[in-house]
Amino acid sequence: MGTSQGNARRRRESWAAALFIGPDLIGLVVFVLLPILFAVYVSFFGWNLISPMKFIGLANYRRLATDSDWWLSMGRTLQFAFIYVPVLFAISLGLAVAFTKLTGRTSAGLRSAYLLPFAVTSVIASTLWMFLYQEKTGYLNAFLNLLGIPDQPFIGSPAQAMVSVVVVVLWINLGYTSMLFFSAIRQIPASLLEAARLDGANGWKTFWGITFPLIRPTSVFVVVTSTIASFQILDIILVMTRGGPANATQVGVLYIYKRSFDQLQMGYGSALSVVMFVILLVISLIQLRFTRRNNLEG
Amino acid sequence: MTVNKVRSWIIGILLALGAIAVIVPIGVLFLSSFKTKASVFVISLAPDTFTIHSIVQALTPGLLHALLNSLIVSTAVTVVAMFLHAMAGYALARFDFPFKRATFVVILGSLMIPMTSILVPLYMVVRLMNMTNTMAGLIVPLLFNAYGIFLFRQFYFDFPKELEEAAELDGSGRFGTFLRIVLPLSRPVIVPLTVAFFLGTWNNYLWPLVVNQDKRFETVQVYLANQISGYNTPWNVVIASAAISVIPVFVLFFFLQRQLREGISTTGIK
Repeated sequence: MGTSQGNARRRRESWAAALFIGPDLIGLVVFVLLPILFAVYVSFFGWNLISPMKFIGLANYRRLATDSDWWLSMGRTLQFAFIYVPVLFAISLGLAVAFTKLTGRTSAGLRSAYLLPFAVTSVIASTLWMFLYQEKTGYLNAFLNLLGIPDQPFIGSPAQAMVSVVVVVLWINLGYTSMLFFSAIRQIPASLLEAARLDGANGWKTFWGITFPLIRPTSVFVVVTSTIASFQILDIILVMTRGGPANATQVGVLYIYKRSFDQLQMGYGSALSVVMFVILLVISLIQLRFTRRNNLEG
Repeated sequence: MTVNKVRSWIIGILLALGAIAVIVPIGVLFLSSFKTKASVFVISLAPDTFTIHSIVQALTPGLLHALLNSLIVSTAVTVVAMFLHAMAGYALARFDFPFKRATFVVILGSLMIPMTSILVPLYMVVRLMNMTNTMAGLIVPLLFNAYGIFLFRQFYFDFPKELEEAAELDGSGRFGTFLRIVLPLSRPVIVPLTVAFFLGTWNNYLWPLVVNQDKRFETVQVYLANQISGYNTPWNVVIASAAISVIPVFVLFFFLQRQLREGISTTGIK
């Protein structure tokens, strides 16, 4: 094949590539990357969407540095993450291990059952659990009464609201996360586990000595994605509590949402979004580092 | 051997109890739909006053219209996204072109950006494009999800080249080959992604909430959330509406549960 022919072919291929990938790339730039750049730009302005934008330099950032409501909201986000991530991790890993002890059909049926809430949308899940959580008349309190426990306020009290919200998010995601662990555990070569058994290691030792270290990439993935999810939890809280009672469930993203869409402080909302975005970027980069190192080790 | 059997029975029973606890709320959702306003909070396994009154009350023109809107938006997003991402993934796997690395970096970068974190700026951009309160505003921004591109790219790396070469010898152009040969054989990646995109869009509450205030385009999630109003919430109707709107998703889920399980195992997608 001559060089000119090769060049022609390469040119044709470039054109084809441009046509194949162009629409997606333009979309990603306009609807994902551009918004971020625009948020950085708007964060230097005061803007209520109606009157013209007014340049105010770093004022929005100075404001958020001393905005105690904002930091309180970020504290709530951390509170959510500190409850949600470890509980999700422990229960779904436990479920996954249990699934592997069962035979094919029983295991598959049970896995489908645990996965079912995943098909319930977050708004429907919120609605349903608000119904179950009802004070005095709700199903959950009736069940607790049967056990001799008095009525609980659940999302009606500042002390219980956050945990009540976490329960709903757990209910939705347990099955899915345990599936991730389940498939990771199944990929461990049976010969390794057999060898450990022959060496006299019991189930407990085999788990901590072989299974747990070998599923580390999945563990890291679950910890990081559920941490990121914790920072993003908005729809369920918006439906169930709107941040209440007494701001007990007002997480960071909800604070951004309220400043931006309820109070139309787009400049300040953008500055808060930029800060939140940087936090998430850092978490993602940490994940990338961990998974890279795992790949090298593996 | 018997010790193992006893142990797996115990594990099975514990798992089944957990499964029941997980499923009970869904059972409550469906059973309560057949109760009245008076009996909706009365706990019973079978509704003693079995009535479709609440369901009839829930089936308002508003709910049906919202269901239709959600169906249109979810279908449009899913179909268009499949085409776009399959083409992009194919180009990344097969073609050599300038700025391939840069393109890939842009896609990789967008992968790390969840929608909630750009909700405010995305709204501002879509508003500048005069797309708020339109069908396009509901659909277009949801199309661009880099996970789709990645999965297609991965799939086409392992796709046998011979089929395409044979088609090209027969005089088929690149796009023709892609449309007639490659795409029909992409089922293993299209099925889980279809479920993921359809469910993802159907479930989406935040974006329609933010971008659309026009009743004509109200989606079902926004409709449902709007029904809950403090102390006067008509719970029997709300629960019935929720049960009705969860049915399409459950149908999809039951038909595709095996593919969905495998999809999660092989791709890790939602």
